[in-house]
Amino acid sequence: MTFDWSVVADHRAALVAATGTTILLTIATMAIAVPCGIVVAAVRLYAWPPLRAIAAAYVELFRNLPLILVVYWAFYVLPIATGLGLSPFATGLAALALNVTAYNAETFRAGLGSIRRGQLEAAMALGMSRRQALRRVILPQAVRRILPVLASTWVSLFKDTSLVSVIAVGELAYVAMQIRAQTFRVLEMLTAMAVIYWLLGYPQAKLVDWIQRRYAVTE
Amino acid sequence: MDFDLSVIADHWRFLGYGVGVTIVLAAASGAASLALGLGIALARMFGPRWLRVPLVFYIDSMRAVPVLVVLVWTFFALPMLTGLTMPPFAAALIGLSVHLAAYAAEIVRAGVESVRPGQTRASLALGMSRAQILRRIVLPQAIVRMLPAFGSLLSVTIKDTAIASVIAVPELMRQSETLAGQSFQPIEVYSFAMLVYFLLLFPVTRGVDRLYRRVAHLGRS
Repeated sequence: MTFDWSVVADHRAALVAATGTTILLTIATMAIAVPCGIVVAAVRLYAWPPLRAIAAAYVELFRNLPLILVVYWAFYVLPIATGLGLSPFATGLAALALNVTAYNAETFRAGLGSIRRGQLEAAMALGMSRRQALRRVILPQAVRRILPVLASTWVSLFKDTSLVSVIAVGELAYVAMQIRAQTFRVLEMLTAMAVIYWLLGYPQAKLVDWIQRRYAVTE
Repeated sequence: MDFDLSVIADHWRFLGYGVGVTIVLAAASGAASLALGLGIALARMFGPRWLRVPLVFYIDSMRAVPVLVVLVWTFFALPMLTGLTMPPFAAALIGLSVHLAAYAAEIVRAGVESVRPGQTRASLALGMSRAQILRRIVLPQAIVRMLPAFGSLLSVTIKDTAIASVIAVPELMRQSETLAGQSFQPIEVYSFAMLVYFLLLFPVTRGVDRLYRRVAHLGRS
């Protein structure tokens, strides 16, 4: 068996563009999922009880579904439900955002909940208003707990963007597998794909470890 | 929008087979990754020094690469190197186990390291060997503390089996895809698949939470 690695060099422009799409998809999903996650967490904690139940049901549902199924489901259901002809990229983005928002909502809720009640009570006993206590005492500590979790969600999301390849979004996994199908250079293209993911993912995983060490909280 | 569930009723055997494959694949790769992860973590912590670098490299690499890539590479590219073709199920089992073992190894390490070093020192002072300390003092406490993390790993395992549909393992996701394509009723079929996955996963996450609450006191020191 001989291997011809020039196929990777020949398609480098397509691979670079696809890598760009992967990164763009990651950033766009997080940009949607962080504010939406804050809203869902706030609804779940403070809203009118029926709304709370809906938010909780949403979070539990999407945390307990395989993302690849959500992607397929969004691909077939969103056009009918919304009446819009969405592009594969928009559909993939919607599926990823639905999934990551649920995880982020849980992260924010757990982060706020992890600060002991005594801290709020102590701050209020010192004469702070509830709002002041939240801003000066609770949030600064909660952020230190939330940030490392968000960072590892980021890495998971970066990897999970590969799943939208099943609905033909032109990101790295899809493009690499397309080139594989056209050129029949299976081992070369799949290895190139794995190496590109590794090159991008490895530093991110290491960065997450560093953030987790840096922000370890001792209450 | 019509919602016609007869497609599910007519093909319940076909979908049921998929559920069975999903459960078997999840159980097998869950057990294999657990065993593999335990071995890797112990080798990393207590094994020879030269083994540490490749093991850490393996763990961090698996955390950096998507499961999809691991599965596709195992199924399509690995046979070209070894000359052996594998059925999809075997490739999925190998790919998932190799990927998830890295996460299992990290969980084991975190659990073992969470047991305070004073306990090891006290046991050494009492004349126990390293192996005895690990077996009698450290692991019994560490295993209880690892439970919640293993519970979420199990739910990740079940979710990741759905990705094996990409290499044509006939599990629930793949069967749903096939049925959706043949019946032209993707909404009914995929919504049903969502329900089944939720019913599989929700009790697992809840069950592990409950189990942990019952045994948490055993892990305190």
